[in-house]
Amino acid sequence: MSPVVEISFWQLLLALLFILVAQIASFVYHLGLNKDISIGTVRTFAQLFLMGYVLTFIFSIENLWLTVGIFVIMAISASFIIRGRVREKDVPYMLPTFLTMFVSYFITAVFVTGLIIGVAPWWEPRYFLPIGGMVIGNSMSALAIALERLFREMRQQKGLIETRLCLGANYREASSEMFRNAVSAGMIPSINAMMGVGLVFIPGMMSGQILAGADPLQAIRYQIIIMLMLVGSTATTSIITILIVRKRCFGKGEELLLGEK
Amino acid sequence: MAAILETEALGFSYAYASRPVFNELDLVVREGEFVLVTGVSGSGKSTLLRLFCRLEAYNSGRILFKGKAIETYCPSELRRFIIYVPQIPSMIEGSVEENLVFPFSFRANSDLEKPSEKQLSEMLEAFYLSDVSLRYQAKKLSVGQQQRLALMRALLLEPEILLLDEPTSALDAESSAMVFSIIEELNASRAKTVVMVTHGTFVPARVKPVVYSVENMKLRSL
Repeated sequence: MSPVVEISFWQLLLALLFILVAQIASFVYHLGLNKDISIGTVRTFAQLFLMGYVLTFIFSIENLWLTVGIFVIMAISASFIIRGRVREKDVPYMLPTFLTMFVSYFITAVFVTGLIIGVAPWWEPRYFLPIGGMVIGNSMSALAIALERLFREMRQQKGLIETRLCLGANYREASSEMFRNAVSAGMIPSINAMMGVGLVFIPGMMSGQILAGADPLQAIRYQIIIMLMLVGSTATTSIITILIVRKRCFGKGEELLLGEK
Repeated sequence: MAAILETEALGFSYAYASRPVFNELDLVVREGEFVLVTGVSGSGKSTLLRLFCRLEAYNSGRILFKGKAIETYCPSELRRFIIYVPQIPSMIEGSVEENLVFPFSFRANSDLEKPSEKQLSEMLEAFYLSDVSLRYQAKKLSVGQQQRLALMRALLLEPEILLLDEPTSALDAESSAMVFSIIEELNASRAKTVVMVTHGTFVPARVKPVVYSVENMKLRSL
């Protein structure tokens, strides 16, 4: 197998040509994305370099609490990114979202590293953090979609929900399909990913392993575990979070707290 | 007759509003009464009905149903006894029959027997809907027909109090007369307690209503 080709600093800068193309396209077609593309590019460089140094440091000292601490920071960051996308002010959903994400992702990551891959110790940062990051990153998008869908449908269907409440439904019965639609909407991207994987695209982690010189047959085993893990963690996190947040959409008298928009 | 619904020094304001909707509002509704609540638009008439069935949460005072604070009842059970029919009827996707019987699938109504097709057809006739088939899509009916269907749906659950929010506001004169006739009949013959909000000048022909006007955050007897 050929050795890994090192990327020099100048080769890295050459990749900025892709950004130049995107900037020109935004400018020519008045997309208004030039500022966002610039900020995104700087953040990509800064965040990934920072992460590279942090990971190098963490891998070298191998400390349980530091590893878990980094995992907590990742989950908190994901919660704030979700808040930025969902923009709901009437219902407090941040705390249940963070707690569910943290507990569910933690259990998933421990299960995968400790039991399926069989790393010892289970928190070995070289395995635990990238896998944890993949769970958080993928499920974060699912959760943002599910929450946004829940709030939107609850507001749009306020008349129907209140009609059901007025006819003796409890809050669960009154909002049953809004709950189902929200969870399904969040899960569809990861189910679609299972359908297309290997046919339409080669997943990022598998590509990375192959580029780093790993045997493709070994890389697919990791990838299968990751895909299954993502579907499972997305399902459990979405269901638990949406169950808790839906309850918070109703007051003590099971009255809907969200107004129509 | 015994009081069935009472408010004691009721206070309510919306979070976004600087002025309260109600302040120290007192009201006693007796069993079998026909209560009419009038008032200008935005005075809080609909809000009062929504407070009775806990679709809004009041800030101060108390609301009693049969002498007990409404908070002592499970919300879904309370709403089976006190049914609020909103101004704009809401129909689910499906047939007239599905729209009439879906509340029987709710846990709070599990002790009630689902009406038969024959019973529903007879009821449609009594509500001036004899030309409407049980298989017809409910959302395709006119607003006046939907309003009568919404009343039917509420009555099938045998409520003790009917809260009606301007039930004829979107209807033409003919449909309004039908709906008013049905409501009067319910109160006169079936002794249902009715609290109806209206901004119009409805004068019941067969029953003597108790009339209030919402003024200065309170109810004034007329």
